[in-house]
Amino acid sequence: MANLKNSVIAFFGKILNAIKTFFWNVRRLFTNIKNRFGDFLDKHNINFVTRFPNWAKALLYLSPALIVLMVFTFYPIINSFALVVYQNYNMTTETVTGYTIFGNFITVLTDESFIVPASHTASSAVINTLIIVFISVPISVLLALFIAAALNTIKPLKSFFQTIYFLPYVTNTIAIGLVFAYMFRTDGGLVNQFLGLFGVNVEGLSWVESGAVYWRSMFVLIFYSIWSTLAFKIMVFLTSIQGIDKQYYQAAAIDATPRGRIFSKITVPLISPMIFYILVTSVIGAFKIYNSIVALFGVSGAPAGVDYNLQSIVMYIYQFIDGSNAGNLSVAAAGSLILFAIILVLTLVQMQASKRRVHY
Amino acid sequence: MNKQLFEKSNKLERWTLFVDFIAIVIYISLFLILFKLLELPEVVNGSMDLDILQYMEPIYQFLGSTLDKWQMNTIISLSVVFTIVAVPMFFINLKKVKIRTIYEVDSYVAGSKFFQGIINLLSFNPISAGLRIYNMFILVKFVKGYDAKEFLKSIVPAVKAYFKRLFTKKVKENTEGLDEYSLSIKTSIRRQNAANALRLLFTYIFLVFMALIIIIPFYWMIITSLKDFSGATTATPKFFISISRMNWVNYKVVLTELNFGLYIRNTVIVALFSTAGTILTTVLAAYAFARIEFKGREILFSILIMTMMIPGELYIITNFITVSKNGFGWVGMPTGENNYFLAMILPFVTSISYIFFLRQSFKQVPESLYKAARVDGCSDLKFLMRVMVPIASPTIFTITILNVFGSWNAYIWPRIITGVGGQEGQAYWLISNALRDTAFVLDNGRVMYNLQIAASTLVTVPLLVVFFMFRKYIMNGIGRSGTKG
Repeated sequence: MANLKNSVIAFFGKILNAIKTFFWNVRRLFTNIKNRFGDFLDKHNINFVTRFPNWAKALLYLSPALIVLMVFTFYPIINSFALVVYQNYNMTTETVTGYTIFGNFITVLTDESFIVPASHTASSAVINTLIIVFISVPISVLLALFIAAALNTIKPLKSFFQTIYFLPYVTNTIAIGLVFAYMFRTDGGLVNQFLGLFGVNVEGLSWVESGAVYWRSMFVLIFYSIWSTLAFKIMVFLTSIQGIDKQYYQAAAIDATPRGRIFSKITVPLISPMIFYILVTSVIGAFKIYNSIVALFGVSGAPAGVDYNLQSIVMYIYQFIDGSNAGNLSVAAAGSLILFAIILVLTLVQMQASKRRVHY
Repeated sequence: MNKQLFEKSNKLERWTLFVDFIAIVIYISLFLILFKLLELPEVVNGSMDLDILQYMEPIYQFLGSTLDKWQMNTIISLSVVFTIVAVPMFFINLKKVKIRTIYEVDSYVAGSKFFQGIINLLSFNPISAGLRIYNMFILVKFVKGYDAKEFLKSIVPAVKAYFKRLFTKKVKENTEGLDEYSLSIKTSIRRQNAANALRLLFTYIFLVFMALIIIIPFYWMIITSLKDFSGATTATPKFFISISRMNWVNYKVVLTELNFGLYIRNTVIVALFSTAGTILTTVLAAYAFARIEFKGREILFSILIMTMMIPGELYIITNFITVSKNGFGWVGMPTGENNYFLAMILPFVTSISYIFFLRQSFKQVPESLYKAARVDGCSDLKFLMRVMVPIASPTIFTITILNVFGSWNAYIWPRIITGVGGQEGQAYWLISNALRDTAFVLDNGRVMYNLQIAASTLVTVPLLVVFFMFRKYIMNGIGRSGTKG
């Protein structure tokens, strides 16, 4: 019995050895070829590692990203300048009736719902957007600064609060917008119920439904946009406040400086580059506001049965892609170039201001 | 230090974790089985009669017992609550048991075992509870040297002594022997302390107030999604509902009848592919910008940075032409010839801001490491995969999560793409445009707010789960991305 067992083991061992030998032979063969190839390269003084030009290598690494960017980023930029000069561009047949330089810009600028309020409405896209920008950005930046400073002074529960304040960042704008619209309902909305506790007459006090006054629906929109953008600002401010050298605060503590002055003379100046950065990005973000409006008021951008519209500039542009005015893409391109110009000017102004004012 | 006791405690902890894991599996499978049993309204004329949803009183047979609607709701709610409590506890303990050393064990560990045991008992898991409390006794022996009997005996005197200390009045300081100056300093210190305490109080009140404003929409969303129709539309909605009144059937209606299961599947497909593409292209491009020296690198990079300022609407106009009939022909073709997924994924398989972000963290890898690798005959690709990617893995991970979130929240582009497809395009909706464009209105004009909010919850909860799983990565990543930009 033991004999048989031994012979079986020996048999399998032989097979295993044969397989091993085979693979070693293959490997030896490959090494041989590799060495010969290397000798050949050395003989003719070719070295791929050093001779392979850097730009070719870079192109190899950049090509996946660059191809996509070419088609979906650079080409659209060029093409939008082409679109702007078309008159009555038709997307399905790709025909134009003529060419114009400023015609589409003039169409946008004189459109009765872009800058000038239309006769039957009381608002226009630019006015709405400017109101949102100039109210929501300062409030949210100040609020975020205060919250970040307050978070920095406490120790217990700090990470708990940090987590809660971060929650709006990881949510879907549309989903929470629907919840906000539900909370601001006229009958049985949470907000009206809350106001009713303080004796406010909430009978027919509508915010986002029919009968809402312009400023009330604007308030909801601004409230929601502040709510949803606060998280990012708080995080960034908190990170930069924590990066401030502790020595400044220790020096201030020795001099018994009041808290308010520490905040205005140490904290704010030292994180001023960050404040300016956040200002620039949030102004740009507020100019591009779109999802919040759609979530709160639907694609039409207005509560039912009111004589105004809460359209923003972006919403005005999108109505030419899929909306009431679908198809006239030249006007949409003109509108987005105007938006780009506004953003560019604001960015440049703020960069100039930050150069002079910001402490580095 | 009694090493045997510590090892015994660790072994016991592993067994407890094993029991915990089985309990979690039971909770989740109980939830899934019961959720599957939930009865939906009958289909009339091709659509469900959602009007009668809240008046249905179905009887369920489960494990040989009959359950009515409210008992069913109670069991499902309990299994959900237990899962929410047990899963984080399990993972935290798993981490602790891996890294705990003999020097870190103190009486707080024993105390936390006791509390966890009580939580186990409340979530119908007596085995874990028993093991945990037994483990507590072992730890007490390990830390203090008491036996179980002595420990139980010592509790009462300790509590008594604690209360005695609490209620004895503080002895007034003797101020007679001090001069005027030190007295004034004493009072000013006291005043300062009071002012500090007051300021701290106001800080906390401010923070709690703001936190309430942040958290209430989430709470209201979850509560409303579990109400029935009349509970969600009454003039005085309740702020709390009992667990037997939680209508889990709302979620089932949203997932099946309103097709949100399909939309979630679409979104997951788009998110997975666009994220994989983004990681691949951005890692390669960022490496080229960070390490390879070539002519025009700075110019190319600054051109890329400049395009970040251009609003996305500009791209969308032309991209829409590009993917539609006169371009690639992915959308806007006759039914059956469209390729919605390609149109939704391909424009987003790279991102300039992520290239920028990754390049920053690649640049922090010292140049000498690269040169040393090159001397040893390491190729560029090998260096990238073996050295750069592992070092920058936190950044790559942050990018992955942010990109998944981005695809999950994408609204305008999917809406435009699927909007031209009519009925066919509707099968390719992503969740954001499904949320906005699904009609939650019944034939008789009722808006089913509870279903709408349930759909919102369904969209929000996965994001929150991912966030709580990778909280540190995400929050650090966001903070740093701001600092660097």
